[in-house]
Amino acid sequence: MTDAFAAEWLKLRTARSTWYCLGVVALIAGLMALPAWYSARLWDGLPPARRASMEVSSLPEQACWAAYLVMGVLGVLAITSEYSTGMIRATLTAVPRRRTALVAKAGVVAVVALAAGEATGFTVLAAARLIIGDRPIHGQETHLGRILMSGVVVMVFALVGLSVGALLRSTAGAIVVVAGLWHIVPVLVHLLPAPWSDRFGSLMPAALVEEIAGSGGQNSIYGAGLPPAAAVAVLVAYVVVPLGAAGIALERRDVP
Amino acid sequence: MTELTKRYGGAPAVDRLSFQVRPGHVTGFLGPNGAGKSTTMRVLLGLAAPTSGTALVNGRRYADLRFPMHEVGALLDASAVYGGRTAVDHLRCLARANRIGTSRVAAVLEQVGLAGVGRKRTGGFSLGMRQRLGIAAALLGDPGVLLLDEPVNGLDPEGVRWIRELTRALAAEGRTVLISSHLMSEMELTADRLVIIGRGRLIAETTVRELAARFQRGVLVRTGRVPELARALEAAGASVLVEADGALAVGGLDAVRIGELAARDGIPVHEVTPRSASLEEAYLALTAGSLEYGAAR
Repeated sequence: MTDAFAAEWLKLRTARSTWYCLGVVALIAGLMALPAWYSARLWDGLPPARRASMEVSSLPEQACWAAYLVMGVLGVLAITSEYSTGMIRATLTAVPRRRTALVAKAGVVAVVALAAGEATGFTVLAAARLIIGDRPIHGQETHLGRILMSGVVVMVFALVGLSVGALLRSTAGAIVVVAGLWHIVPVLVHLLPAPWSDRFGSLMPAALVEEIAGSGGQNSIYGAGLPPAAAVAVLVAYVVVPLGAAGIALERRDVP
Repeated sequence: MTELTKRYGGAPAVDRLSFQVRPGHVTGFLGPNGAGKSTTMRVLLGLAAPTSGTALVNGRRYADLRFPMHEVGALLDASAVYGGRTAVDHLRCLARANRIGTSRVAAVLEQVGLAGVGRKRTGGFSLGMRQRLGIAAALLGDPGVLLLDEPVNGLDPEGVRWIRELTRALAAEGRTVLISSHLMSEMELTADRLVIIGRGRLIAETTVRELAARFQRGVLVRTGRVPELARALEAAGASVLVEADGALAVGGLDAVRIGELAARDGIPVHEVTPRSASLEEAYLALTAGSLEYGAAR
């Protein structure tokens, strides 16, 4: 197992797409300085009476939200690039225990995505603090738990990407699914009639962050929300169900 | 390989195929395109599950091997590499999973003649270079069994000869070498033993020599005194045909007997050559009934 893990680590490290994805995440984190700077300027220009009504979404969480998609793509490419090149045959000839190979791949993808997610959240937090200073802008209160959870959801997206990639064996198809879960499904859920938009909305990955870490006094766009324990269970299901399905599919199907 | 069957949808790609490959020889695995060679290899490597039957390496299922590259080295599809990785990194990824050290990576790259381009990305490699890289991967674990699927595809004549010498040397070290090909002419020079399949079924399990003998086509004799020799040979029970260039095509007698008869009658003979159909023809004759995508004749 450690050998398979080490091999997958080497593979992820030597794939160009890994560095492109991490580069894009770093770029997103860096660009968050712009809204931080703009918010500070706006705040300074507003008369004190109107400052109370100014609100800016949490920048670290915004950065993580963008990283969901990028790391989801990294998870997809970690497996579909092997299918598209045929490298999967060499991989599974070297490690014929297919579940071991998948778990090893999931392990390294999870570690990289979690590290990238947490780094994004906390780097942007530090940058935003530095730029915004002590201006008490609504939405920019430091909420460590939510930033931490946002990083965890980045990892969840990467694992969903990996699983869907293993199931579909197609880069484009899997990216469509990940992008759907990232933004399209939440938007569609929002359009559902009254109780259902809240019920399904509370299951969306981004909503889980607030449900698990507490909303910090903000009202969620996703509605009432689940209790933390249930939200944790849903988050775990986001990883376990697709990954389990991918494991079974990989075990049963012939390698193309 | 015992009674191996693999179906895709309805039609079997491999149909109750049984054969054994022994160490110390290069075994050619021959069949027309679509005969089931690659499918057989994929099943053997655990990449495809057999519909029925078993395929074992050293008496065990490939999937049960813990570090399989130490026992079996395989080249399936040389172009199947991730182009963004360097040759060294590509091999290290495979080696690491089987606890093979980095020094071995350098050694196999040297062995296949790619040491100079080890730090280059494989995306820029020619098909011939990728074949060499694939063979390097197969050799990584210093395995006793080598399975090479169409290793000479895309190689230049020098590369083809290199594969021939390499595989013969590996077999001479006591390893089991199975090489698939649809080209009899190549196997004729490389392999000792032959497994010939068509439409997923075994057509012949034989040696190059046996196959040549089976398709023996008499003896070619040249002499200055054609009518005299023809009469003498016919008297001894041979069938004699005079060919356009004046040579005699003799059937029913071997070269030794022909020589003796000529000497007895004092007829000078310029040439006595046992003729066999080329192995190419023998192979075509064997597989004619099983062409999957043959041209209509």
